[in-house]
Amino acid sequence: MSKLQANISGIIKSSVIDGPGNRIVIFFQECNLNCMYCHNSHTIGLCNLCGTCVDTCPTNSLKIDSENKRIIHNKNSCTRCDECIKVCPENSSPFYKQMSVEDIISEILEVKDFISGITVSGGEVMLHAPFLSLLFQEIKSHSGLKHLSILIDSNGNIEQKKWDSLLPLIDGVMLDIKAYSAKTHKQITGYSNEKILKSIEYLNDKNKLKELRFVLTPNYNNDESELREIAKIMKSVSPNVGKTLIKMRNHGIRKEFSFLREASNEEMNFAKDIFGQADIDILVI
Amino acid sequence: MEEIKNRVLQVLTDGNLDYRQKKHHLAYIAESTQDYPDISKEAGEALNEKIICDLFEGTAPYRPRYVLPDYAYALKNGVNYLELEPPTNFDEAINFLSILYIQVPSITGYSVYLGNIDTLLLNYVGDLSEDEIYKKMKLFWRFIDRTLPDAFVHINIGPEDNVIARVILRIERELKQVVPNLTLKYDPEITSDELLLEASKTVFEVAKPHIANHKMTAADFKGEYGVVSCYNSLPVGGGSHTLIRLNLKKITDLHSGDAESFISGTLKKYCKMTLDVIEARSKYLVESVKYYDTDFLAKEGIISLDNFSAMFGFYGLAECVNQLMKRSGKELIYGKDEEANQLAHLILEEMKKIVDAREVPYCKGNNGKAFFHAQSGIDIDIEETAGARIPIGIEPDIYSHINTVAPHHHLFNGGISDIFHFDETVKRNPAAILDIIKGAFRKGMRMFTFNLSNGEFIRITGYLVRRSDLKEFREEGSRYGSALFAANSMDNANVDNRISKRVISNEQVAGKY
Repeated sequence: MSKLQANISGIIKSSVIDGPGNRIVIFFQECNLNCMYCHNSHTIGLCNLCGTCVDTCPTNSLKIDSENKRIIHNKNSCTRCDECIKVCPENSSPFYKQMSVEDIISEILEVKDFISGITVSGGEVMLHAPFLSLLFQEIKSHSGLKHLSILIDSNGNIEQKKWDSLLPLIDGVMLDIKAYSAKTHKQITGYSNEKILKSIEYLNDKNKLKELRFVLTPNYNNDESELREIAKIMKSVSPNVGKTLIKMRNHGIRKEFSFLREASNEEMNFAKDIFGQADIDILVI
Repeated sequence: MEEIKNRVLQVLTDGNLDYRQKKHHLAYIAESTQDYPDISKEAGEALNEKIICDLFEGTAPYRPRYVLPDYAYALKNGVNYLELEPPTNFDEAINFLSILYIQVPSITGYSVYLGNIDTLLLNYVGDLSEDEIYKKMKLFWRFIDRTLPDAFVHINIGPEDNVIARVILRIERELKQVVPNLTLKYDPEITSDELLLEASKTVFEVAKPHIANHKMTAADFKGEYGVVSCYNSLPVGGGSHTLIRLNLKKITDLHSGDAESFISGTLKKYCKMTLDVIEARSKYLVESVKYYDTDFLAKEGIISLDNFSAMFGFYGLAECVNQLMKRSGKELIYGKDEEANQLAHLILEEMKKIVDAREVPYCKGNNGKAFFHAQSGIDIDIEETAGARIPIGIEPDIYSHINTVAPHHHLFNGGISDIFHFDETVKRNPAAILDIIKGAFRKGMRMFTFNLSNGEFIRITGYLVRRSDLKEFREEGSRYGSALFAANSMDNANVDNRISKRVISNEQVAGKY
């Protein structure tokens, strides 16, 4: 098997919210957006061994291993106070680890009798397209695993060609549209949305768009014209694509973005009505 | 006599009991004036100290604990005693069963088994439309809940997917009744995914049906089986004379050596004593009361002594194992540590061997042996966890949970149940539950159910109550006999500790009068 490795920030072995059925979810480290309301902001960056977390840790559970360029984490003394994550200037964490395709396969094998499929998420998982390709090929050629469905949870901010090698191996992609206007998108995520809009169109054409989600963020993407444009995009994709309107929750977001406000019921209903007027069957959560 | 008079008066004047409940308690007091069936002094003491528990069956058994009438036989042949001719259509069949249900004895006074109802009624569907069936079944379901108000009253559906099973699940979701408790017999080769999905959606609304591994359970019985009361599996046309359970925690308290000497000494001694009590009670019922010679169900072949056995139950395995581990200087916990799980398994295998080695009279229904049963607990269990379950509140993740308990499920021909807890989010993704159910059965589980963290219904050990009924009972009594057990269970055993604060109330224990 390949020596290729990926940085894995975590594995959830039973999830009922990352696609149909009970699924194992593999979270990859590193993201190419920086959303204000990111709830897992410690999965955005990569560790540069600056040592801030090592100095901050109240139980001295972290050490720099300069030879192997990694942080050693003492699980026994760690109390998971997460101070390390809060102080990390890189939006990273000392907890992610390098795993091979083989490592991940053995994690899946442990739970294969209980799951419908696998969801890969992040961070931005498409930054690891070559690794995913190997992983998915391995799953599809394994007699005990090939029946499992494979879903990608992505932000879509990726060049079109990166999808090509993966699409034949997967069942679908779940994707967010954070905003229609490039300006608003940049405000929310730090980046423009050209590639994302292209990804939506491309995946829909290829019949691989599984779900399209919109996170309502008051004062950013909740004015009527913006919502109507989002509705247009939702309408432009196949009726078979699941559509979800998500209320931005400010629980767990970074301190510097604590000014973000959750939508009121009226604001949620306003958005819902606009999607309703466009005749879009949308799930609100 | 003065003591009896006081007990009677206490029942008569208890405003939390309705007329029928009072009558039930008065009968219990009357029965308690009789001497206990012939058992050794030591066994009598063990009963008094609740080391061995007869679950308030009474001192003089005059009816079997669990009766599973062969309703199909009755429907086919009619019942002379009740002057009932075999029904010829759906209405007559429902009417026939409604009458018969009332006549079936049990410890609680309400039949614990109402049949594999979809199979029974399918013969009478004729050209009725689904909507017509729905209307008739809805009335039938209301009748059952109002006339047999006890959560131990249990009905079965499946394994085949059929219109009646589906209608019942729909009615369950609409009526949200406690009664009847419901089990779906599930066989991946027979039951459709659609029916299992309907069942899962129903669990989200009303915490039932319970799901039974049909293939595995059916293999333990010569004929048909039914799942009754608190997930006991027993032969149809028969049942169990009695259920006596051994308190594994208490016998571990009494034991002074290590695990090895516990298994070879204390455990063996008390298993034998439990079997002695089972034997004495069975004999009393058969030989002194002559129940099977006199009751119309037996006389008319709706039940037969040959299909009866007795049940050997136990509870408090978790406490037993944890304590034995502690004594050997290891802080290892059942449900969490492999070594503790292995010890648990060893204890269960040993008990099964002891039960299987003992010939018990009048137990032809299980080849002369008692059924082995992981008893799912009642309200007075304060320090003991139900059966072989992992204690509430410390259950590990779902996979570890299944991997811990599945290896011993095959031992329990008399039934076992585990409860898995899910977050509300699973409601949006019922297919996830199907995955877990199928995975659990693949791992060898016999039966289980699941609770949602915020459902209106709560599973109390083996049976079900409505959260609002508990509140109501504590304030003013409840129509359901089992709400009393439940209120006590909630107060005693952290059953509800995920959801709301426990309410301290005037605890009432069955048999206190």
